[in-house]
Amino acid sequence: MKKRVASITVALVALGLAPAAGADDIRIGHMADYSGPTSDVGVPYGHGVADALAWVNSQGGVAGTALDVETIDYGYKAPRAIGQYQRWTSRNSVVAIEGWGTADTEALITFVARDEIPYVSASYSAALTDPKGQGPRSHHGSPYNFFYGPSYSDAVRALLQWAHQDWTARGGDGRPGFVHMGANHPYPNAPKAAGEEYAAELGFDVTPSIQFALTPGDYTAQCLTLKNSGADYAYLANTAGSNISLLRACETVGVDVQFMSNVWGMDGNAMKAAGVAADGVVFPVRTASVWGDDVPGMATVRAISAVSDPSGTAYRPVHYLAGVCSAMLLVDGLTAAAAAGEVSGPAIRSAIYGLGTFAPGALEGVCAPVTFTPDDHRGLVDIPIYRSRVAGPTDAGSVDELIAGGTMGLDRVGVISLERKAEWLGW
Amino acid sequence: MTALSAMTPCGEFRTSYRQDTTIFPTALSRNLMLAMVAVLCLVPLVADRYILDLMIRIGMLSIAALGLNILVGFTGQISIGHAVFFGFGAFASAWFVRHGVPVVAAIPLAGLATTVVGMVFGLPAARLKGLYLAIATLAAQFILEDFFARAQWFTGGVAGTITEYFSIFGFYFDTGERYFYVVLAYMVVMYVMAWNLMRSRDGRALVAIRDHYLSAEMMGINLTKYRTLSFGISSFYAGIGGALYAHYLLFVSVEAFNILFSIEFLGMIIIGGLGSVIGSLFGTIFMVMLPEVVQWGADALSGGWIDRTLRLSNSISFLREMVIGAVIILFLIFEPDGLAHRWRMIKAYWKLYPFSH
Repeated sequence: MKKRVASITVALVALGLAPAAGADDIRIGHMADYSGPTSDVGVPYGHGVADALAWVNSQGGVAGTALDVETIDYGYKAPRAIGQYQRWTSRNSVVAIEGWGTADTEALITFVARDEIPYVSASYSAALTDPKGQGPRSHHGSPYNFFYGPSYSDAVRALLQWAHQDWTARGGDGRPGFVHMGANHPYPNAPKAAGEEYAAELGFDVTPSIQFALTPGDYTAQCLTLKNSGADYAYLANTAGSNISLLRACETVGVDVQFMSNVWGMDGNAMKAAGVAADGVVFPVRTASVWGDDVPGMATVRAISAVSDPSGTAYRPVHYLAGVCSAMLLVDGLTAAAAAGEVSGPAIRSAIYGLGTFAPGALEGVCAPVTFTPDDHRGLVDIPIYRSRVAGPTDAGSVDELIAGGTMGLDRVGVISLERKAEWLGW
Repeated sequence: MTALSAMTPCGEFRTSYRQDTTIFPTALSRNLMLAMVAVLCLVPLVADRYILDLMIRIGMLSIAALGLNILVGFTGQISIGHAVFFGFGAFASAWFVRHGVPVVAAIPLAGLATTVVGMVFGLPAARLKGLYLAIATLAAQFILEDFFARAQWFTGGVAGTITEYFSIFGFYFDTGERYFYVVLAYMVVMYVMAWNLMRSRDGRALVAIRDHYLSAEMMGINLTKYRTLSFGISSFYAGIGGALYAHYLLFVSVEAFNILFSIEFLGMIIIGGLGSVIGSLFGTIFMVMLPEVVQWGADALSGGWIDRTLRLSNSISFLREMVIGAVIILFLIFEPDGLAHRWRMIKAYWKLYPFSH
C-alpha cells in the first residue's frame, strides 16, 4: 500500500513539474482512434504511424534529433481531439501532428493554419486539399493540412470511372444506377455531393443515399432498401467494421449490386470477417503494393513492423502500410527542413513542397509517389483499384494463411489516373 | 436530505427569520469563502496549463451540475437529458455570435434560450412522475440530439460549428489563464444565485414539492408552475455551462452531448450530494478528477514490475475504466449521502473538537 501511495505521489510530482527531459527533441503529436467507432481501421493505421516514428528514432532520429511522439487515443470524439490540440499547442508545443478523423481534422483547419502546425491527417476529405481556398466549391483554404492518399472525392470519381467502364464492358442496357451509402457523419458525407454530381455527369441514375451507422449492427433494412432502389453500383462510405455487417446482411437478403468502398472500407481482416459476402468488392488502395508483395521497400516495412511485432508473424492490413507512408511523409518533410536549418511549421511545409514528386520514406514500391505544391494539396491522383476475392469459408486460419492458400486475395484491377481539374480542387 | 437540519449542533439557535435564511451562518464562514475565491484568483499565476484546464472544466460542468441538482436534488424531479441542454446552450451561444452578438452577451442569451427549451421539455413534468418522467426526459435527449445533427442552420449539422473567444472591449480571453477568470466569475454568480434561490419563497416551494407534493399542493403551491419553473432554472444553468464550454473549446459538435454525458451529470450530483449546492461542486470535482487520478495511477503502473508480472500493457487503459466504475459503486455504498454530507461531518468535527459527541 505504502509503495502504491509513493508511486502515485511520484506521478503527481512528475506531472506537476511537467516532463523536462528531452527538451531539444522534436515534439510530434499523434492522435489515434484505438477505441472509437472507426477503431477497426484506426488501430492498424495508428500502429503504422507509431511504429514508423519509433523506427525512425531507432535509426538515429531526424538529423540526429530524436522524435518525442505523444500518442493519444481520442476515441473518434472531435471535441476531445480539439481539447488535446489546445493542450499540445499551449503547454509543450508540438511541431507537427499526425491526425486521424474527418470531423476533428476539418474542425482544426483554422487552428492549425493560425498556429502554423503541419497536420498530416488520415482524413482524406477533399476540403483539406485546397491550401489557398482557390477552388470554386471550396469553403476556405487549408494551408497546413496534408495527407497521404487520394482525396475521398477523387477516390469516388475514380471508382465511378471504373464503374462506367465496367458497365460498358458488361454490355449493360440503359443508365446504371448509383447509390451512396454511409452514416450521417462528416467522414462518410465528405465525398457524397461530389460523387453524386460526378455520377450524374457520367450518365448514372443517382438514387437517394442510404444511411447506416459507423458501428457494426443489423442493416437488413438498409439492404432491402438497396435491393428495391434499382442501383447497380453502391458506394460504401463507412469504415470496414460497419461494412462487414452491411455486406453480410445484403448477402442474406440476396442483393445483387456491385459494391464499391472507400479506402477505409475494405482490407484483409474485413474480408476474413465478412467471408464470401465480401467477394468482389472494388476499392481503391493508397499504397503501391499490399503486405507481402515483393517490392524493394517491403524490407524496410518489415523492419518497421518488427517494432511492435518482433516475431514478424503479424499480418499488416493496407491501413498499416498507409500509416507508415503517412508518417514517413512527415519525416521526409522534417528531414528536409532540418537539412535547410530550421524545424518549424512553415519550414516543414516549404520542405514538403521542395521535395517535388517523392515516395515517402524512400519506400519505393510501397508508398506511391506523391506531389504537393503551394496551390494544390492533392498528393495522389493516380489511384490503384483492387477487387477483393473470397473463394470459400474464411473461418479457419489466419489472414496470412487464407491469402497464401488462395481462399482470399486482393486482385489489382487497374490504375485510374485523374486529371487535376481546377474545379475539383477542395471539393 | 434530512442531514441539513440534523447536523445543526446543539447550542446553536436563531431568534429571527433573517438569521434562519442567511447564506453564511457565521462571519467566519463568509470570510473563508471570500478568501477561497481570492486564493482561486491567484491560481493562474502559479498553475500550469493542465491544472488550469482541469479547473476550467470543473467550473463549467459544476454550473450545469448545480442546475441538475436544483431539479433533482431540490425539486425531486428527474432528468436524464441534461447533456442536451448543456449542448443547446453551447450551440445557441455560437449561433448568436455568428449573428453578430458579442460573446459577452451571447452567453446569458444562450442561457435564456435554453431556459425556454427546457421549460418546453419540462412540460410533461406537470403530469408525470418518477420513472415515467425519466422516460419523458429521455425523449428530450434523443429529440434534441437528432435536431443538433440535422439543423444545419443552427448547429452546422454533424460537422459541428466553430466559434470565437470571449472578449470584452477588444481584450481577448484566449488563454487558459484568462478564461479561468471568466469561468470563476460565472461560477461565483451562479452559486450565489442558487444559495439565494433556496432561501426564497420559490426555493422553499421547490423543496416542499420534493418532500411531499400533495401537502405542497394543499398549502397552495402551484405544482405545474414550480415543476416547469424548476426545469427552466435547471436548463438555464445548463445553458450557461454549455455556452462557457463553447467559448473555451471554440468548437461545438453534436457527438459530445450524448446520453452518457447526461448520466455523468446525474453521477456528479448523486456523488456530491442531492439537495446540496456545494455538493454539486464536490461531485463535479470528483467526476472530473477520478479519470485523471486513475490515469496517473495507470501511468505510474505501466512499465513497472506489476505491469510486467501481470502482463497488463494494453489492458491498463481498460483497467482504468473498470476502476472508475468500481470506485463509483463503492462510493455509493459507503457514502450514500454524498460528499456534501462528509463535508458537513468534517466541519462539525472541527467545530466541536474535541467534544464531537
